[in-house]
Amino acid sequence: MLPFFGRTSILWAMFSSSAFWVIGVAHVLGIAGAAMLGQRSIRRGLAVGALAPAVAALWAIGRLLQDDAANDPIVSELTWVSGLDLSLRFQLDALATMMTVLVSGIGAMVFVYAIGYFGPKAKGGGRFSASLLAFSTSMLGLVWADSVWTLFIFWELTSVTSFLLVGHKNTDGAVLAAARRALMITGGGGLALLAGLLVLARESGTTVLSDLGPVAGTPAVWAAVLILLGAATKSAQLPFHVWLPGAMAAPTPVSAYLHSATMVKAGVLLVAVVGSSFADVTTWKALGMAFGTASMIWGAVGALRHRDAKLILAWGTISQLGLLITLLSIGTGKAIFAGISLLFAHALFKAALFLVVGEIDIRTGTREIDELHGLARSMPITFGVAVLAGLSMAGVPPLLGFTAKEAAIEAVLGTSGWERWPALIGVIGGAVLTVAYTLRFLLTVFGSTPAPHADLRDDDAPAVADTRVAPRRLAMTVPAVILSGLGLLGYIFIGAVNSIVGPAATELNEKSSVYELIAWPGIKLAFVISMLVVASGAVLGVLASRHTQAAPQPLGADGADRFLDGTLRMARHITYRVQHGSLPVYVATMGATAALAASPFLFALEADHLVLWDTPIQAVLALGVIGAAIMGAFVNSRLGAALTLGAVGLGVSGLFVVHGAPDLVLTQLLVETIVVVGFVVGLGHLGQRFPRSSNIWRNVRLGVAALGGIAVMAALAAASANPSGQPPIADVTEAAVEIGGGNNVVNVVLTDVRGLDTLGEVVVLATVALGILALANARVSGPSDTSGGSAESNGVASDPKGVTT
Amino acid sequence: MIAPSSPMVRTGIQVATPLAVVVGIYLLFAGHNNPGGGFAAGLVFGAIVVLRSVADIQQPSRARELMAFGVLLVVIVAAAPLLWGDLVLDQAVVSTKVPLLGKVKSGSALPFDIGVTAIVVGLVMSLLDGLGQTGRGTDLDASDDRTEVAA
Repeated sequence: MLPFFGRTSILWAMFSSSAFWVIGVAHVLGIAGAAMLGQRSIRRGLAVGALAPAVAALWAIGRLLQDDAANDPIVSELTWVSGLDLSLRFQLDALATMMTVLVSGIGAMVFVYAIGYFGPKAKGGGRFSASLLAFSTSMLGLVWADSVWTLFIFWELTSVTSFLLVGHKNTDGAVLAAARRALMITGGGGLALLAGLLVLARESGTTVLSDLGPVAGTPAVWAAVLILLGAATKSAQLPFHVWLPGAMAAPTPVSAYLHSATMVKAGVLLVAVVGSSFADVTTWKALGMAFGTASMIWGAVGALRHRDAKLILAWGTISQLGLLITLLSIGTGKAIFAGISLLFAHALFKAALFLVVGEIDIRTGTREIDELHGLARSMPITFGVAVLAGLSMAGVPPLLGFTAKEAAIEAVLGTSGWERWPALIGVIGGAVLTVAYTLRFLLTVFGSTPAPHADLRDDDAPAVADTRVAPRRLAMTVPAVILSGLGLLGYIFIGAVNSIVGPAATELNEKSSVYELIAWPGIKLAFVISMLVVASGAVLGVLASRHTQAAPQPLGADGADRFLDGTLRMARHITYRVQHGSLPVYVATMGATAALAASPFLFALEADHLVLWDTPIQAVLALGVIGAAIMGAFVNSRLGAALTLGAVGLGVSGLFVVHGAPDLVLTQLLVETIVVVGFVVGLGHLGQRFPRSSNIWRNVRLGVAALGGIAVMAALAAASANPSGQPPIADVTEAAVEIGGGNNVVNVVLTDVRGLDTLGEVVVLATVALGILALANARVSGPSDTSGGSAESNGVASDPKGVTT
Repeated sequence: MIAPSSPMVRTGIQVATPLAVVVGIYLLFAGHNNPGGGFAAGLVFGAIVVLRSVADIQQPSRARELMAFGVLLVVIVAAAPLLWGDLVLDQAVVSTKVPLLGKVKSGSALPFDIGVTAIVVGLVMSLLDGLGQTGRGTDLDASDDRTEVAA
């Protein structure tokens, strides 16, 4: 009977997996700390924000070193409603541990980098640091999630927090439009994902991700399509990729973190985690490969066409994500292994490249490749980082990207059946283009030859000169050096990388356990292909760096924005029509709807069930109520109407008394009291009589009122004449004393049995009250009292002092 | 604004205030075993707030804070059982001996009801604010009255 040590309590869970929860709590505390400290100085906020991810990364590395990750996964569950499988469930297995290293490790480095990026005087430090750590926390939750609910919650949290980060510069309309576009596309995909996960959970009979079994049949196809839609929107796959280039409006640390290593990987990870369930669903593989190969090619083409260095990387990310999605949806042991290896390598080199571009942006003031020349001389360390990371991306030895790409080509060569050729063409084509855009990026940015565009200018001389650069900032250099250096170290110590990605891939597909990354494969088919790819890509890249064309128009982005604007316009139009502001019309509409809804019961009424009254007092009271109601409809003065309504209320409470319901009586009387006072207060501002209205409108209202009254009465009579079983009053009375510890059944029902309903209702009440307050205050800031009747039509009072509150 | 100058009304409301407060508190505590409860208590408190405002004795303030307190309280009471591994809104019943009163039995329903009360009082205050009766916008729409009189 120790409540704190119950098996399902949070505290027990904390003891059983203390480090796990400590890290979670540290993140949450870190968010608060970063928000507070960052307010004063962005550097302090970022420094505090870096702590929790750094601890998480070190802890995850420790687990990897001790081989705990694969052998002893941490499982932690926090149940909410056990009957519905509603729980927060986390599992820290080998894959999740690897992702933790990436998410938190790169996260900590991005925090450090941001200190250099923003400079000491930047504004909004608290908001930025807190949002960045909140994103990092959501991403950790996402990679740890082991139930469909948990996954979905953190999935959406990453969408929301990334919206805040992309829209950090919230005074720029274009930035906000880009942030909104990203949110709408990823959020819409999130809805598809939820539907897909629901179908999947239902089909395989569990909500626990690690227990998901194979599914088949039509529902499985639906689930596959919906989940892939979610993954494709998040991972910026064609045609949903349009949000990613726009999101480059974010500060570069954000892009480096979200759009290389973490958020866009969420879709990839999802495909990997649920992929095994869809092993027998052809649609899964076909659609996944369609998304993947199309994005691989189109993304690489986009990277070759753009002239903004950051956009080049963004389009390259689309392409790389396509490759990952392709490999993971193929789903063989070899492909899964290659996919996970590439995911690891990609996180390292792409983050490093983004950091390079951010540093160039800060130190030269531009990201346009036409305006950048000869940075190899003026920024030698940055140049080294860019070469290491870029060649890793291109798949050149001796770098980690090379072995990962070897594995990918091997995996695709190893497939059989229809998927072999599309995958082969996609992977090899994408790889050639990748080499090309990497080389173009390196040559145009760092090379001393002026970019071709510059030749067309009138004043050649200043353009040919090397771009002037500001002094180096240590905080920006160190993370980039570490990340790109890891690409080289990973190749040298290939065994260490194998011990990370191997168990992670095995987690997804048991057949992956036999594969490992090989530093030097020897002259094999895959190696030959790889070298041909590098050679042809290099030729293409050199040609492209000399070739000139204008930056392409963002076609899809416009479409997405137009769609969104159209939706908003339509919503405004409908709102304008429906919310016209006339109280009588609202009431008449509601009455008519009620009458319509209740009218079917008119035919369900059976006369022999009806009794006129139990005691004659009921008849007297009912006559009083009816009489007062009819009077209320015809009385001309406002005060008279209020009084008749009061009479109706009192009569009804009298009926409650007869039925022996003291709680209802009490509440009814109190409500009547308040309403009467409210009327008195309100009538002070209005005329004594109702304004005249046309006869037709008056008759319509009368008709609606009469029909509504009769129909609702008939519905109640019909419902009470056909009870579905005995009323559970005896059970409830007993339960009230036993469970609720009270003799007043009504109150126990309200606070205990249906306590959640009450909770919801009082929150609704509070929300309504806040709405009233807001309206009361808003009226003053509106167009003011030009029309005398407006107070009557919306029932809101003016509030001269409200402006200041 | 009705007859704020009437001494009868003012005095009557002054006298009624403590009585209403006692009745409200009684309803709040009695609710578990007898007619009453948080909603009824909130309405009683609300009624007296409205009356005092109408008679210009005291204008209500801090409706927002009151509602925030109420919502916070009900949410805490609802979520607290999770810490013990129980379900949301699980009841805890405590009985203790209090001097003068003897044995008192109470449950977590009481703080829940107090939260409900606070929200209801806050709601009534906001309604009052919405109707322009908080002494801030009393001469609202004088032109409206004129047009009505002319008509």
